[in-house]
Amino acid sequence: MSARWWAMTWLVARREINDRARAKSFWITSALLLVAVAAGAIVPGLLAGRQSTARIGIVGGPAAALSRTAREAGQISGTSVTVVALPSVAAAQAALRSGKLAAALVGDSEVLVNRQPVTGSSIGTTLAQIGGLQKIYAQLPPAAATGIATHGIALPVRSLSPPTKNLATRITGLTAAILIYVIILTYGIRITIGVGEEKATRVVEVLLTTLRPVQLLAGKVIGMGLLALGQIAAVVTVYLVLGHAVGSPEVRSAATNIVLVGGLWIVLGYAFYCTAYAAAGSLITRTADAYNAALPLQLPLILAYVLTYTVIYASTVNPFFHVLAFIPFTAPVAMPVLVAVGAAPAWQVAVSALITVASTVWMARLAGTIYGRAILRTGSRLKVRQVLRSPA
Amino acid sequence: MSIDDGQLELIELRRQFGDTVALDGLSFTVPRGQVFGFLGPNGAGKTTAMRAIVGVAALDSGSVRWNGEPIGEDARRRIGYMPEERGLYPSMRVSEQLEYLARLHGLTPARAQAAARYWSDRLGLVDRSQEKIEALSLGNQQRVQLAAALVHEPDLLVLDEPFSSLDPVGVDAMSAVLTERAAAGVTMLFSSHQLDLVEHLCTAVAIIDHGALVAHGTVDELASGGTLRVAVKVAGDEQAGWLAGPAPGAGGLPAGAAVEHVAGGTATISLARREDAQAILDLALLAGPVEQFGFVRRRLSEVFRDAVGPSVQEPVQAQTPAATAAAAAREAYPATEASR
Repeated sequence: MSARWWAMTWLVARREINDRARAKSFWITSALLLVAVAAGAIVPGLLAGRQSTARIGIVGGPAAALSRTAREAGQISGTSVTVVALPSVAAAQAALRSGKLAAALVGDSEVLVNRQPVTGSSIGTTLAQIGGLQKIYAQLPPAAATGIATHGIALPVRSLSPPTKNLATRITGLTAAILIYVIILTYGIRITIGVGEEKATRVVEVLLTTLRPVQLLAGKVIGMGLLALGQIAAVVTVYLVLGHAVGSPEVRSAATNIVLVGGLWIVLGYAFYCTAYAAAGSLITRTADAYNAALPLQLPLILAYVLTYTVIYASTVNPFFHVLAFIPFTAPVAMPVLVAVGAAPAWQVAVSALITVASTVWMARLAGTIYGRAILRTGSRLKVRQVLRSPA
Repeated sequence: MSIDDGQLELIELRRQFGDTVALDGLSFTVPRGQVFGFLGPNGAGKTTAMRAIVGVAALDSGSVRWNGEPIGEDARRRIGYMPEERGLYPSMRVSEQLEYLARLHGLTPARAQAAARYWSDRLGLVDRSQEKIEALSLGNQQRVQLAAALVHEPDLLVLDEPFSSLDPVGVDAMSAVLTERAAAGVTMLFSSHQLDLVEHLCTAVAIIDHGALVAHGTVDELASGGTLRVAVKVAGDEQAGWLAGPAPGAGGLPAGAAVEHVAGGTATISLARREDAQAILDLALLAGPVEQFGFVRRRLSEVFRDAVGPSVQEPVQAQTPAATAAAAAREAYPATEASR
């Protein structure tokens, strides 16, 4: 392919970019996407900030023992505890009412909270249980109570398997899957509509007097691909910058490998699907048929996306989903999710990526053949088999 | 300059779609610098042939040669093409569209911009250059389409129905441009169903039917071919009574001559031989002073009907009601021909 070949193809790509960049819908959807991502980065951080720390008041009794009890209760309930010593029960009550305290431990007699939760446990109930046990232990001979001061009351938990990926990592994986899903589907359908429009308006007849079909196809998918990359870059930047700024635990603990794997699969997924969406567009003769023509290409991704929810919050990955992560049609969504839940080692990512790259070559050839044969055939909507059986 | 320079040759073009034969060994030559009309009833294969010339339709066999060579990648950039069903991006602005197409044909950005401006101006689109195509009237879209075919100053113009959807002013503007481009040495092939317009505009035509050539030549050659006719009028004889009663001693109409019709005293008589015209003039002179005498030139529409046979009715274009009304308004067929 000569420099002129690429220059012509770039003209096509640039027209696509200008055309999309001028459309109001592009900026509106971009803005909505950024707002959604910004919310995704900020809101969990704010919510998490409130839940993960609690101020516990202690009144009377030995301050060191009460502090230890409060910290242990925090450890057990997953709350980072700050202990505040208060002079009197009245002061504790006032602090509870004003919301400055989550709970107050009054010696070894009671735990005060502003209001009991309707269901489940809270830092207050955990504090009450640990405080109660502490009181029993305090009555044992000193020899029997040895170790409590250093190890706490609760027995240590020993897990047999390594810890699974934490929720923040999983949420990052889910975000990546959603982003990949949304980008491939929206840009894919734009390609189908664009190709269909060129065919329906017959502008393709004018273009193909100087361009080869493959140039027109390549220019379109390159132009759209660059726009998609720009949009993704903006989204990821907003997510990381805002997330770090507000101290979102999801963003802070987002493993770099998930961001990298997500980036890899968005590129691989787009490359695999873009030519197929163009081929779908070449089959139609009215732009109104674009969504129907593109539907078969959307179903595998929709399937993978829906099944993602059965994996993200589960402790094990079902084998079916694991298989999907190796099929090029579903891998772009499934593989980043597998990585996020810690179910896919690096070699599996590499194997799946290689399968997808090889399939992309195959898909581009097939789609190029379909596109080249169908783009100038008018009349009724064409079927893939019909096009492939027809002479070149 | 060799004899092949600028000459477009269609050689034995064949193309079949399923059971339908679109092109059946079509051959003819379009010389450089002539406005050349391409005629035929609907479905005759004109569009398929034009698409084959510009390389957007495949051929089963046959070849298209320009300047004596098959049309390659470089030659294709020198072609200006206007498809039958117009091809423009609806949401693109006129100037951008023209510049884009000029760039695709190899013009530099500066030249593309200048050419787009020139042709917008030339075709009366300068006020519309920042409008989107979809906001333009059909006629103006047509002008943009022509500008798109001309913007890279092509050496070969292939125009499929360039006059459809144009009002009379648009027809005049389009005619002027085509004549000018042909005079500038451009090779040109355009199809049309508006036969009187073609007759007025073209130097030569090719008429095809069922994918094959049925008539080909200059308009003059075709108009003077076929059945010879003379039109004769004797002064004061409004009924052409001289035909019925020749003077004593004179013979009747020569053998093979027949009166076709009489209108306003003028008799149109078909002849078997050119020499018989003299005998008819002598006959008329016997009846009185002859006011009008001359060979009748065939209209192109008549040549067309003779060539494509009686089964073909007046070609009717598939057009929108508005376009049909516009076409009707500019139709110049005399009533006698239209009702024939």
